[in-house]
Amino acid sequence: MSKLRFFWEQSWLLLVSSLIFGVLLAIVDTAWAPRIARNEVEKFTRLAGGMLPEAKRFEAVESKISVDAGKGKTVLVDVYRAVDDSGRRVGWAFVCEGSGFADKIKLVVAADAGFKKLAGFGVLSSNETPGFGDKITIPGGFYQKQFVGAPAQTLTLVKTGDAERIDSEVVAISGATVTSQAVVDILNRYVSAVRTALQEQGLLRE
Amino acid sequence: MADNQTSLARAFLAGLWQENPVLRLILGMCPTLAVTTSVQAALTMGASVIFVLIGSNLVVSLMRNLLKPHLRILMFTLTIAAFVTIADLFLKAYQPAMSAKLGPYIPLIIVNCIIICRAEACASKNGLLVSLADAVGMGLGFTGALAVLALIRELLATGQIVFEFGRKVALVSLPDVPLFRMAGMAMPVGAFVTLGLMLGLVKMVTSRQS
Repeated sequence: MSKLRFFWEQSWLLLVSSLIFGVLLAIVDTAWAPRIARNEVEKFTRLAGGMLPEAKRFEAVESKISVDAGKGKTVLVDVYRAVDDSGRRVGWAFVCEGSGFADKIKLVVAADAGFKKLAGFGVLSSNETPGFGDKITIPGGFYQKQFVGAPAQTLTLVKTGDAERIDSEVVAISGATVTSQAVVDILNRYVSAVRTALQEQGLLRE
Repeated sequence: MADNQTSLARAFLAGLWQENPVLRLILGMCPTLAVTTSVQAALTMGASVIFVLIGSNLVVSLMRNLLKPHLRILMFTLTIAAFVTIADLFLKAYQPAMSAKLGPYIPLIIVNCIIICRAEACASKNGLLVSLADAVGMGLGFTGALAVLALIRELLATGQIVFEFGRKVALVSLPDVPLFRMAGMAMPVGAFVTLGLMLGLVKMVTSRQS
């Protein structure tokens, strides 16, 4: 009994404070969580919609797709079907991520209706070096443009080449080879896994 | 500074210059070097630190007579973490672009030495008003130092001071000459060099004063 009393005397402030702060954070989270979720959806829709201009809305595919994220990790990916006003499928979009030069890079990747060609990628979040690696975030910039219409298969990074030619070779950003390679690696890891899974589910025959 | 007789004015003014956390105490170097690539990011970080400093100083001051010596650091960390989480959620909800830009540096305020230093050195030994004045002074001193560093770096790296409120607005735009296009200023080397020069300047001024 005396041990219990000693424990309470020593720790009551910590326990009460934890309870109060916990309740406070729960209230704040409940109040702002819908807005945070809406911000994320808006950003996804804005980026994916920019790559698939015909898309009017994005519908989540029922089952999540399992992707090997490397280092023994498996992630579940939500894939979205982009449809136009008439309900016709005009493309696919999903969120993927991987390690960059400075921090994790989170991308939205879009592909055409048959998942044969990429419609491009947009950056949801990255902390790459300003002036160098952060060039991956420029919509319509020379790096992002190389992915618009590129085949939805394994891509290769090259240090020099013709960036105007759209094929499976991607020309690196000068001074940001690690970031350029990171984006290509993320796409290589996710694109083929998502395409294969969609094929297995019979969704690409629609 | 840390005694009970500390006056309000002294507590407030100390953080601005005499005990400026960045320029005199060399505290909070992680955000100082990392988020000063743009003035807007520096000001957002500064505002977040001011909010957390005020919140933690007030709470620690309120509970100062109840604190057990061996549990005080745990209590400080718990208090700081709660306010940092609120600041982080607020930015995600109302400033999502800035939240994405600042990345992990907002959550990292939890381990910012300035906050825990003020809780230990001031709030745990003084009343509410002195703790509040200390938090505001220290916060403004931190924000001011970050803003000056960011102003120099952003101007020399891009030739512009850009703020983003839905769309990007260039508040300042300098001629397109090599002096204002030094990419290195946006990189870590730019942060170290600029901060080093600022610290040298402060040292020179304070040496002359003394």
